[in-house]
Amino acid sequence: MNYILHSMSRILVTRPEHDPLTRHLSRWNSKIIEVAKSKGHAVTDLHKEKANKKEFEGRIKKLNPALVLLNGHGDESCVTGHDNEILVEKGKNEMLLKNKITYAVSCSSAKKLGSVCADSNTAYIGYDEPFALNLDRQFLSDPLHDMRAKNFLEPSNRVACSLLKGHTAKEASDNSKKAFKENIIELLTRKGNDPDAHDDAKSLFWNMSHQVCLGKEDAKL
Amino acid sequence: MSDNKQQLLQESLNDEEIRKLVLARLEVLSPDTIKCIGSEGSFSRDELIESVKRGDKIGKTIEQIEMEWLRALKGGIISELYSS
Repeated sequence: MNYILHSMSRILVTRPEHDPLTRHLSRWNSKIIEVAKSKGHAVTDLHKEKANKKEFEGRIKKLNPALVLLNGHGDESCVTGHDNEILVEKGKNEMLLKNKITYAVSCSSAKKLGSVCADSNTAYIGYDEPFALNLDRQFLSDPLHDMRAKNFLEPSNRVACSLLKGHTAKEASDNSKKAFKENIIELLTRKGNDPDAHDDAKSLFWNMSHQVCLGKEDAKL
Repeated sequence: MSDNKQQLLQESLNDEEIRKLVLARLEVLSPDTIKCIGSEGSFSRDELIESVKRGDKIGKTIEQIEMEWLRALKGGIISELYSS
């Protein structure tokens, strides 16, 4: 039997949970954590209240993770954690993301924060406009069974999953966009005139169009 | 899509027409729809309709999403999606 040995990487994940968007992102990120652990990577999970600035700065300095997965709110210059506490901000502590691969599912952060982080040793994958997520009210407390959200969050998760498989940052972003595209086609060709499906397709197209991979495109774990 | 085509689309729909189009699309959504728009929060269908009518930040973002989609349709996104 042949064994392929992959080197173990350190991964830091922030998973605030204080509103519908962060709850859905958090629960869907638990799938990535499972995959990462199954591949032997060491995952530091800053979940709920632990997604605060003190923990984030302390862990990232101590562990120097190769991959940082940021889930939360923010704006063009920052990404926030639990209860919208700023974790990383342009001009303050963006150096923490240097020499790493970051995937930020956060509003518009690629525009300024990502731009200053990205360099020849650093990859930043994120969105240069607000990330849109359509949910079904019936599944607010059960995000993993929300099939509308699945169309958005599986393609998003594809970034991290591709990186965990050994793809480069650019390939991971391309794979994610391909998954967005497949879901758009599925929604547009769904039988019957389903206004929700058409609306979801529009928002998926928006996310796909605004996902960017900045900096070291050939960075990999 | 070329800049000329984008300009033509924008010129062919004024702000009021865009708003009416977006409202018509929102009104047919299921009442269980919740849209999360980045850090702005989570909004029900009816809240989105009100935002678009008021022309606030959320309403403008919804209009932007609609316009990008219309531009993409005009630019041949459907055949592009199928061919790639």
